Amino acid sequence: MVSFELLFPVSVVAGFVGAMSGMGGGVVLIPALTLLGVDIKHAIAVSILSIIATSSGSASAYARDHITNLKVGMFLEMFTIVGAIVGASITIISSTKPLYIAFGAVLLGSWAALLFAGQATWHAGKQDGFTRWLELEGSYPDQALGETISYKARRAYFGAPAMFGAGMIAGLLGIGAGAVKVLIHDLIMGLPPKVSTTTSNLIIGVTALAGTSVYLVAGLIDPGLAAPVVLGVVLGAFLGTRLLVRLTNQAIRRFFLIVLLVLAVEMIVRGIRG
Amino acid sequence: MDSSELYAKAHQSHEAELQLDMDVLVGYILQIGVLLSMVLVAAGLLWTRLRSGGLVLNYQITGMNLFEFVVYEVRLALHGMLGPRLLVNLGIIALMLTPFVRVAASVVYFIAVLKNWKYTLFTAFVLTVLAYSLFLR
Repeated sequence: MVSFELLFPVSVVAGFVGAMSGMGGGVVLIPALTLLGVDIKHAIAVSILSIIATSSGSASAYARDHITNLKVGMFLEMFTIVGAIVGASITIISSTKPLYIAFGAVLLGSWAALLFAGQATWHAGKQDGFTRWLELEGSYPDQALGETISYKARRAYFGAPAMFGAGMIAGLLGIGAGAVKVLIHDLIMGLPPKVSTTTSNLIIGVTALAGTSVYLVAGLIDPGLAAPVVLGVVLGAFLGTRLLVRLTNQAIRRFFLIVLLVLAVEMIVRGIRG
Repeated sequence: MDSSELYAKAHQSHEAELQLDMDVLVGYILQIGVLLSMVLVAAGLLWTRLRSGGLVLNYQITGMNLFEFVVYEVRLALHGMLGPRLLVNLGIIALMLTPFVRVAASVVYFIAVLKNWKYTLFTAFVLTVLAYSLFLR
């Protein structure tokens, strides 16, 4: 049993780094916990439980500020929760080696996403009939521009199955997979960046719940681990969102790129060696 | 502009207003749920520390779904078996019920206030799948 004195600070750092970089807590938390000697399935289970707290916490503020698009969230949730249940069920029956390798691969993906982040620019596009039928449109108050931005989503028929995949990754590896969700919102459905990140937060909470319930039944939610980790991650995420602006500083960004790459290689090596 | 157009316009803005109320409702449910859960878990850990001088909770939740877990913990509470373990478990339960309550409230809101059958159906589907996963054996 890893001690509280070790688990709590590690979880605070994971939550802090996750919130600050926009990657979410799980990406750092799970490799850190396995390094402390926690079994990877228990680490995945406690991580996905903590994600309910961090994502719901930030989603609450964004929803009240009317930036989140509830209809987009509630439509796409239908697909992510089914994906999460499938993903978590695979993890439970899987051996640990492929989990390490899959996690390493996702870390490499996050590394690439961070490397190329901020290159796409949002522009309004034409809405198709199906997406209009789904009422996926809205407006939000943009405080930086001082005006209300109206937008119409598109290509929900591609977004929905892609979201099933995102949910599956989330359930399988115990992460929010927010980067994947934001990518789907931005590139496929053409949502403005602010709406896409905040709506993804709302979806992550309910997706994490679907995954958590599978891990709970499997007996993988360990309260001795969950209590310090969830508290730590929430505290860290709170500090991370309050104290620092997102990855604007090039030095911080470079630091995260190195951390992600090291963690990715480490996980893959452990997966191959066993 | 004739009266039906005026009505449509007024109705539209009224609907937009209701949609905003839903944002606020969802926001508060999430905030209260997470806060409650964190307070319970923190209180449980503090109690463990005061009782044993340590911070290690040594027990497992063995293969119960959320509803069995809730029934089990509530029964313990009714028998006066209050302790750090109960608080931490209630914290975990509160956390897991937070998104569930949010979805349930959305279903009710889409039926009763927005009267949007499409989204009533979508949110009801989400609620059903979640309920299924929480009852899973």
